[in-house]
Amino acid sequence: MIIPFIKGLATTLRHVFTKPITLQYPEEKRQVAPRWRGHPELTVNEDGRRRCVACTLCMVVCPSNAIKGIVAAEGAEHEKYPVAFQIDLTRCIFCGLCQEACPKAAIKLNNLYELAQYDKNLLYLDIDRATQKKSELRMADWL
Amino acid sequence: MVNLTIDGRAIQAPKGKTVLEVADANGIFIPRLCYHPALKPIGACRICVVEVKPGPPRPLPACATVVNEGMEVTTNSPRVQAIRDELMKLVLINHALECPICDKGGECELQDLTHALAVDKVDLEAVKLAPNHDYESLFVERHPDRCVTCGRCIHVCRDHVGAMAINFMQRGYFTELGSGVLPLDCEFCGSCIDICPVGALINKLWKYRARAWEVVKIESVCPFCGGGCVYELHTKDDRILRVRNEKSILLCSKGRFGFPVVEAPDRLKTPLIKDNGNFREASWDEALDLVAAKFQEIAASDAGAKAIYGIGSARATNEANYLFQKFFRQGLGTNQLDNPGRYTYVRALKGLAAVFGSPDVSGVEASTALPQPYQSPLTPGAEAKGSGFPFVLGKFNDLPKADLALVLGADVTPEMPPLGWKLLRALDNENFRLVLANPRHTKFDRYASLSLRYKPGTERILLSGIFKAFFTANADYIPSISAKGLEEFKESFKKVTLKDVASKTGVDEALIKETAALLAQAQAPAIICGTELLAQDKGEQNALALADLFLLIGKPGTPGSAVYPVAEKNNSRGVCEVGVLPDRLPGFVAVPEDAAGLTIADVLDKLEAGDPAAPQAVYMLGGDLLRGLPHRSLTEKLLKKVPFLVVQDAFLTDTAKLAQVVLPVAVHAEQEGSFISSDGTLGVLPAVLPANGVRPDWQIIGQLGEKMGYKLGASHPKQVFRELAQNMPLWAGLGPKASGPLMAGEVSGTFVPFEADLSLPGRRPHTLIIGKVLNHNGSYTTHAPDGTLKLVPRAELSLNPEDAKSLGLAAGDTAKVVSSQGEISVPVVLSPEMPPGVVFLPEHFAEPPVHLLTLNSNLVRVTIQKG
Repeated sequence: MIIPFIKGLATTLRHVFTKPITLQYPEEKRQVAPRWRGHPELTVNEDGRRRCVACTLCMVVCPSNAIKGIVAAEGAEHEKYPVAFQIDLTRCIFCGLCQEACPKAAIKLNNLYELAQYDKNLLYLDIDRATQKKSELRMADWL
Repeated sequence: MVNLTIDGRAIQAPKGKTVLEVADANGIFIPRLCYHPALKPIGACRICVVEVKPGPPRPLPACATVVNEGMEVTTNSPRVQAIRDELMKLVLINHALECPICDKGGECELQDLTHALAVDKVDLEAVKLAPNHDYESLFVERHPDRCVTCGRCIHVCRDHVGAMAINFMQRGYFTELGSGVLPLDCEFCGSCIDICPVGALINKLWKYRARAWEVVKIESVCPFCGGGCVYELHTKDDRILRVRNEKSILLCSKGRFGFPVVEAPDRLKTPLIKDNGNFREASWDEALDLVAAKFQEIAASDAGAKAIYGIGSARATNEANYLFQKFFRQGLGTNQLDNPGRYTYVRALKGLAAVFGSPDVSGVEASTALPQPYQSPLTPGAEAKGSGFPFVLGKFNDLPKADLALVLGADVTPEMPPLGWKLLRALDNENFRLVLANPRHTKFDRYASLSLRYKPGTERILLSGIFKAFFTANADYIPSISAKGLEEFKESFKKVTLKDVASKTGVDEALIKETAALLAQAQAPAIICGTELLAQDKGEQNALALADLFLLIGKPGTPGSAVYPVAEKNNSRGVCEVGVLPDRLPGFVAVPEDAAGLTIADVLDKLEAGDPAAPQAVYMLGGDLLRGLPHRSLTEKLLKKVPFLVVQDAFLTDTAKLAQVVLPVAVHAEQEGSFISSDGTLGVLPAVLPANGVRPDWQIIGQLGEKMGYKLGASHPKQVFRELAQNMPLWAGLGPKASGPLMAGEVSGTFVPFEADLSLPGRRPHTLIIGKVLNHNGSYTTHAPDGTLKLVPRAELSLNPEDAKSLGLAAGDTAKVVSSQGEISVPVVLSPEMPPGVVFLPEHFAEPPVHLLTLNSNLVRVTIQKG
């Protein structure tokens, strides 16, 4: 009669002293898998400039029209770069086709997953907000 | 027809076609890179090789192999596929992999071919060459590292444009497209850009502005000269990004790079009303109410409706000009209107009409076909025929069939580039002879059999010499056109001696005789004359002399044998055909003599004389009269005398500044309508861009008419065209891209003697010719700083280097040019193409106002001093 009780208590006690598998979210963040598909963002070179050459292939391939408004300009060295670039996260389906289409590895799905917002406007990213910033959250080896 | 098989398929093909053309026509794809349907086969890339039996053991290029009876062609044997694969790898060695930023990406023929032939890797290596990019040239950017050395650009430049500005430099793997000089010095037509299969040549106006697949393509007609080239406007987000001619590729610099004029910073946006000498912005209703009230006040006064004078525009559409004349004829009930072509193109028509008569068309029926937009509701019946001068006016596509062209007083390429391209096609025919008569050395001198370098103003003396030599050598010559008055006409040259002509014109006697001999032999002679000739004080006499010459030697039944007067603006011919003339209704129907109105010249005379019949109000449909008419200071003084001047224009031109009311109008891409080109082709203009507050001409005229209580029926250009074409038997059967008149012509004429006198009196040492430069048309193109204004930003005095030396002038110096009428200061450019004693100024620019120098002609004697 008492044996099952002790067994149960032993299980409970064992768990009291083992490491918990839950995370104290939001204080604790979960590390996502390397292939996690967060939202698309524009990557930068070591010197901090965008890699994007405004070829618009991501815009063409995007199945949900989340990428739009790419405006190109010519730089001093005759390079092509974007001066406007919009990513509409309300439309993005995180499929990663943009990343696959990009010939310059200039757009990449990051590992961010906290996309809920009170204000919808915050989900419309302009070129500056679409550009990679929080480098601590990126995997180092994805290129 | 010949019978052959391609890949086992039995095919019948016309003789003389190449294997590639036949395969294309039968839906068999042969890969190709250097072939372009607008060019002759080049045979540079060898991608299109096919196996041909019977034939040599090696494969042959399909683009340059003509089909034969019994030929068996294999397009995809393993052998030719291996050759193509190898050739593609050779092309792709070190091809710059810049597709993401290359403007050609998406419409690149090399991209397509690489996909089609599934070339996935290049296992060859070669030294990488330093790319000699040309970023400096205007409008054209060159990327030799993308070049596939197909040679298309060189062929189009040499054979079709005649500029010969680019060629290959080095040989073999090191072959590179070069121009000898940097930056590029050429006509900047940009045809090389659009013919390039890859992105080796890039249009700078288009560069990086959009990808090829993003644009909307709309077919339109070029508004920058009377050539009427049909092209495609490529737009994105309501802006024109580039212009292309997909079919023949050819466009001139104005056509290809002139479109920024639509976005010119000085475009008028709102109507302007002058209060106390200053313009203020007004609403459309206010401006139109003011004009309507003023016109009604004048019409009700003692002066009557006759005191309102209208000047149409060769820039405006047929529909606008038709409504304009309807406003005057039906609304005001007068014939008091004219168009500025009076000083050029109308003279050509008058000269031709004097000899060949006014048009008369019979046998025209109402069309039973469903009404299509811009299709005439009339159709020429089986018995339809016509007579009169429109039937001697040439069509561009026929010009290559001529066997002789006499070009008199026209620098063909600047006046009308498409006519120059057709002349080059005519020159493909080895029996074609080009006789060029011009005081200056022009581009076509290089191709001319005879160059007659006469002294400016002696055109009619030269022609009288040619007639004299002609009649001396061919006393019994019978014109092939039924002509009256030949004997009397011959008589009029009795006193002419060739020696005298030679001394007056400066043309050698032998040359005149040779010209006359060539003219007498010609089986299909064409005569081309330009505004340089027509804008003289006796331009009409010049046209008359040429009309007589055509009556003598012309063979109007033979294709190509025609007169080609250059209509300088997009609708110079249309504005006349729709009746914006004081003595002609639409379709050149004559107005009874006592009802005919005044010409612009008459009006200016009346204003000068202070005649009570001088107009109280002038309504101008555009066109900068001050910039275009001779004797600017007088014109300005007289226009200032007009109490009420209304100008409808896209820009605040010098003429518009004199106006009391200025109404801003939509320009070509913003309005719908049609143009009649110099060769009678109907070009249809779609509205591509939103008008942004300005209104199209037809709408303004319609609204003004409405406010004055006239029912002009201006609901839409399509409907206006229908009404207009209904009244024009001459346009029977005319539709988009068709060239009228479309009925059989019965040409007959009467010789009318002309005055063989000198057109240029005076004693000053230099003769100034005011004419056209290639990169501008009228003043229209001078408003766009991003357009062709970059190529020719200002007026420069072209001067013979010897003359300059004796005057102590060097290139870039400022010269003071003085005539009996006035003086201007202008920078000098040395030009060996000018004969000694002759100088040239372009007419297009606001500064300096060149017509301050002239009296009644585009020629004037001047003194040049160091300024």
